[in-house]
Amino acid sequence: MNTKLKVSKISKIYPGCIANDNVSLNFESGKIYALLGENGAGKSTLVKILSGVINSDHGQIFLNDKLLELNSPKDAKDNNIGMVFQHFNLFETLSVLENLSIDSEKKNEELRVLVNEILRKYNFKIDLDVPILNLSAGQKQKVEIIRCLLRNPKVLIMDEPTSVLTEQETEDLFLSLKKFSNEGILIIYITHKLKEVLSLCDEVAVMRKGKVVSVSRTRDEELSSLANKMIGESLIKIKKKNNNTLSSEEILKVSNLNFISDDPYEINLIDINFTLRKGECLGIAGISGNGQNELFQILSGEIISNDSSIRFRNKEISKLNPKERREFLMAFSPEDRISQAAIPSLKIYENVALNNFKTSNFFEKGFLNEKKIKNHSKKILSNFSVNTDNVNLKSQFLSGGNLQKLILGRELITSPELLICFNPTWGLDVGAINYIHQTLMQINEQGKSIILISTDNDELLQLSDRISVINQGKLSKIINAEDVNPEKLGLLMGGGVIDKN
Amino acid sequence: MNIDINFIGILIGAIMASSVPLILAASGELITERSGVLNLGVEGMMIIGAISGFALMVITDNLFFAIIGSMLSGLLLSFIFGFLTQSLITNHVATGLALTIFGIGLSAMIGKDFVGIPGKEFPLLLVNLKERIPFFGPIFFGHSVIFYFAFLLPFVTNYFLKKTKIGLIVRAVGDSPISASNQGINVLLVRYCCILYGGAMCGLAGAYLSLIYTPQWIENMTAGRGWIALALVVFATWSPIKVLIGAIVFGGITILQLHMQAMGIRIPVQFLSALPYIMTIVVLVIISRDSRKIKLNTPTSLGQMFYKEK
Repeated sequence: MNTKLKVSKISKIYPGCIANDNVSLNFESGKIYALLGENGAGKSTLVKILSGVINSDHGQIFLNDKLLELNSPKDAKDNNIGMVFQHFNLFETLSVLENLSIDSEKKNEELRVLVNEILRKYNFKIDLDVPILNLSAGQKQKVEIIRCLLRNPKVLIMDEPTSVLTEQETEDLFLSLKKFSNEGILIIYITHKLKEVLSLCDEVAVMRKGKVVSVSRTRDEELSSLANKMIGESLIKIKKKNNNTLSSEEILKVSNLNFISDDPYEINLIDINFTLRKGECLGIAGISGNGQNELFQILSGEIISNDSSIRFRNKEISKLNPKERREFLMAFSPEDRISQAAIPSLKIYENVALNNFKTSNFFEKGFLNEKKIKNHSKKILSNFSVNTDNVNLKSQFLSGGNLQKLILGRELITSPELLICFNPTWGLDVGAINYIHQTLMQINEQGKSIILISTDNDELLQLSDRISVINQGKLSKIINAEDVNPEKLGLLMGGGVIDKN
Repeated sequence: MNIDINFIGILIGAIMASSVPLILAASGELITERSGVLNLGVEGMMIIGAISGFALMVITDNLFFAIIGSMLSGLLLSFIFGFLTQSLITNHVATGLALTIFGIGLSAMIGKDFVGIPGKEFPLLLVNLKERIPFFGPIFFGHSVIFYFAFLLPFVTNYFLKKTKIGLIVRAVGDSPISASNQGINVLLVRYCCILYGGAMCGLAGAYLSLIYTPQWIENMTAGRGWIALALVVFATWSPIKVLIGAIVFGGITILQLHMQAMGIRIPVQFLSALPYIMTIVVLVIISRDSRKIKLNTPTSLGQMFYKEK
């Protein structure tokens, strides 16, 4: 039977923010719909309303012309609307079968038979008796999907499902979703990744600032048209940066750096050597988990290596801690914004104050000089276009992009000579990525240097002057960026060697 | 040396009897904590249970009413805790500590008029078997009904948590209240029930002290047993059977060290008095070393506040 889902004039207002503004959409089974938008565009709010987690302030939802009252997640389930959240709703310490049985009236043995049928039909491989915490992200997602399938859903909503998946898992997921769609399940796919929309979905609705700005067939769209609709302004093509400022002056020299870790899960670094010139961006590519973390920590001083092997502007710095290195005008932006770079439960200005320098005078006789810190924070917020001017806001309420801008701003406002950043745009939407790339280029153009450790090859090729690949804790020979293309980079990342000819 | 086999039996029986209040309170608190709620008011609820049980016994002269009343008083106190932490979303730790202080103070006030009144004899079961069978008699027979209930409770609790649907829901709520809520489980209801059950068991534990173990009212008579029960739950890594073992070890060493003191063994008294605490922790740490199991048994959301998005 055909399923029709109609969302009519939905609004949801939070204090200070209209999350959904008069949203109307029509969906029909047999197709896969994309709901596309940047972080904070209101997609998640809409699906939370559809799945009964929150109530809308205005508007109605119809399923096959029947008005739905969705006051709780149970109501949505009872109306055959299934939902897989971005953050899984699983119980980590319970087994797979226990997780599924919470939601089901069936006896365990009946349930096991049913689940095994689903596993076979869609070729999922999951042990039903292991606790969830032993599963990979892809498997956890499958458990969520099975939970929905057990209820014979008419509608299946997937909220940013690929953010935690590997490439292979993503392909598997897409195959499954296409199967479900062929079986008559209406699929709504929420994402901010343009490529996924084009490769998976039939129709696409774009949301921006709480409003639906466009509904179209994906075959009439291409990457750039979707990106423009999503961001609302033509993507400024990043110009290739101007290399005039590149000088031969050496800013950082790392020689014979070795790091042997006691922790079996850490990667040992073997004989790392490189030099960085003033105004240069050195890219360090590699598949994640090949020693990037360890390298970042050693360069930033989180780990002190025993060899005296790092010289910054001709001074030996390998024994200095991160704060002392910052005093020397180095700056660091770690990979994990939430746990390494900022403290989410602290206010913006408090996070800013954590980076105190001798010269900044944030503290007077042990007391916070709040006025000074707040003024300094305001300057960061406006200079780095963070979309709030409230320095008393807790950092956890900033979106990933804005938090990253704040962190970069905090590091850069003191005009450091060297910035070391690790996956600075990981998980951000196109607008924020663009902004951060431009900022990094500006730094180079001002004659400052960057070490960019990243797993995003496009980013590396765009920003770096020279690139090296880290593989199993070893750095490859450093190559000029003009001589590298994505294929070569891929070969090096797998541990291959480029033939001179 | 000639060891009297009957004496050892009596000693073991006494050890088991002394561990009853710990088992009751810890089993109750275990359910509360498994639902993700940390109630540090165990000591307060126990002492309120002790005084209300004793007072009701004196007033009504009916042991059944006294027992039920003690459980209700523990439940009432835990309801205050539940209302504050679940409905008004106050901090679990601070609220629990306040509850203990409140309970101790209130019990002392109520108890003023009951000091020095002798308790009533509590009916013991199968007393004739106790005397007839050597060694095993004093261990297994001649105890109160609450004694048998206490030793059954950890097994029932274990079965409840592992094999029943409601037990599964309790564990789910303790693991992730947000996920549970999104699954349509009424998290507040589940947590309230677990808190109230924990309160009732603490009340019963208190009544055991004032009605059976030392049948009289003495101010502050729980003497930190509530804290020991709390520690047992944590060190037993939220496993009911290990709580039972821990409670017996604690009771056992308490009684044995008293005998050692009486025998005049030349070990400092302070060390002997500290021994039960140290040994219980050592034993529980040793039997709970499997880090994988700890992870599976620990209620991930313990002590976290939960409120629903609107």
